[in-house]
Amino acid sequence: MSSDNHWRVIRLAEFERPDAPASTRVQQLFQHIRNLFPQSDEAADDEEQADFPGYREFDLKAGADALEDALGEWRAEGDAGIKFLISPPFSGTAAIAREWAQRHHWNKLTAPAEAQLSGVDIDAWWQDQATEQWLIDDLANYWQRRTDGMAFVRTLLPKLMRGELGQGLVICDSWSFAFLQRAWPVHLPNVYCFAAANEALLRQVGIQADEKKLKALAARALGNVGLALALWAVEQNDDHDLPSMPPDCGDETAFVLYSLLLHRSLSGAALQRLLPTIAAAQLDVQLLQLQQARLISYNEEQWQVTVYGYLAVRDFLKSRGFYVDAF
Amino acid sequence: METEKIIGLFKTVTSDAVIEIALVIAVSVAIIWLSQKLFPWLAEHLHGKQRLFVLAMIPTLRVVVFVLATIWIVPMVIETTVQNMIAILGAAGLAIGFAMKDYASSLIAGIVAVYELPYRPGDWIEVDGTYGEVKHIGMRAVELVTPDDTVVFVPHLKLWTGLIHNANNGGPSLMCVTSFYLTADHDAHQVKQLLEDVALTSPYVQLKQPITVVISEQPWGTHYRLKAYPIDPRQQFQFMTDLTARGKARLRAIEVKFANLSPEHAVPVNP
Repeated sequence: MSSDNHWRVIRLAEFERPDAPASTRVQQLFQHIRNLFPQSDEAADDEEQADFPGYREFDLKAGADALEDALGEWRAEGDAGIKFLISPPFSGTAAIAREWAQRHHWNKLTAPAEAQLSGVDIDAWWQDQATEQWLIDDLANYWQRRTDGMAFVRTLLPKLMRGELGQGLVICDSWSFAFLQRAWPVHLPNVYCFAAANEALLRQVGIQADEKKLKALAARALGNVGLALALWAVEQNDDHDLPSMPPDCGDETAFVLYSLLLHRSLSGAALQRLLPTIAAAQLDVQLLQLQQARLISYNEEQWQVTVYGYLAVRDFLKSRGFYVDAF
Repeated sequence: METEKIIGLFKTVTSDAVIEIALVIAVSVAIIWLSQKLFPWLAEHLHGKQRLFVLAMIPTLRVVVFVLATIWIVPMVIETTVQNMIAILGAAGLAIGFAMKDYASSLIAGIVAVYELPYRPGDWIEVDGTYGEVKHIGMRAVELVTPDDTVVFVPHLKLWTGLIHNANNGGPSLMCVTSFYLTADHDAHQVKQLLEDVALTSPYVQLKQPITVVISEQPWGTHYRLKAYPIDPRQQFQFMTDLTARGKARLRAIEVKFANLSPEHAVPVNP
């Protein structure tokens, strides 16, 4: 790896968040208190506030190089089996892995259809796309948090670990991974992630600021490059504040947000199947309220938490005792 | 002569002392009143351990303020010699023993409750068959609100002799047990796995806590008890409703038969 490349792949157990300077901790505390006591006038009713500034996407090649440094030997040996790469939301890990897989001509596997999730017929799913080396770029699409939505992944994971389906890299969202470890309590070997972003990496992805600011930014973004870029874009634009939780958030709000983070994105219908306890009309109200607060967005018929709202949502769920990710 | 002795116990109270005593009482009452308004309001915005900690501060603060105010006021009114204190405590004890025994016993039990912590605001307790959430701990009684929104006042006196069942004991973990009754002829392992998944996929479930299913065979069929914890104790009834509704739907899908007893064959089953 070039000494100019600050991307690093590490074992998940070695992951440590960047230390937060005192000023950042005060800021985080302030944000936490703001979430606890939401103001009704904070809802986005201003057209200018509605659209957040876009943030520059970073070059994936350096990340793919780091991945090759970590996994190159294993890839070259071609041993059957899998390695997990855990991806915190918006970190760009899946995009980096796709770049790496494309470079080495690994096929990206297509997730099973929703109807297949309740079955255990792995062969029917595998036959059409059988290949020696492959990439699963989002394991969250291979299960759903329904009583009949976990049979497929529970059958698939042992097969993958035994190497029955060849050699593969599995990208799993950090929230999904936390839940799956609870649902399928097996100690998983070979679990990796990218090391937390530090000042040097933030500079490498194009954020130009002094050391102190970069350190504070890395801490605020929990070491997540995508989050850091989004926070930086907001910081550079005086017209925008990060969204915060709207008033009257209750259990139902938390259930919707947690489900969206578990599965990265969901259609309204899929969300309704996951949360039958919430009436359809009430679910629509929750989704619209969260969309107005700019905490979630609706693209291509899928709801997902916005990068700008992620920190507020994570803090909200954590303060209510939800099982949050390890990042 | 006796009258002089009694008068001798007390100091001459000046107008300054009266004002000071009135001020101490006013400030104490104000602090207690404020704490009873402010802390519950703050607790409403918090969850889990933080909420329970803030609620538990209310009775503790009240006892601390009460003790401090007493220490402040008593020496201003009474000559605090050993002889005087024995005389006053003796007289007070006699009066309490005859006239206000139960009331005094409740007050003392209320103070004991503050450090022994058999219940705290936010706890779910059962006393003499009444189950509910502790909303307020007063000087004499504890105020419960039942799931049917009825307020029940239980004197602290119960602490001395009664059994207090505390379901969460100051923490956010409260186990819920949901029962399912099936006829005997079915695959118990399949049903056990299914019920565990029903709990695991409930949005209310606390994933940090274990989920277990206990099976017992009965003359009428099989009794399944699904044990799991909600994220917040206040969600226990919605949680059990969700488990029951989704559990029934899944059990119907695998075509097991529910036990269906006529009333004369029904046997009481402890929850």
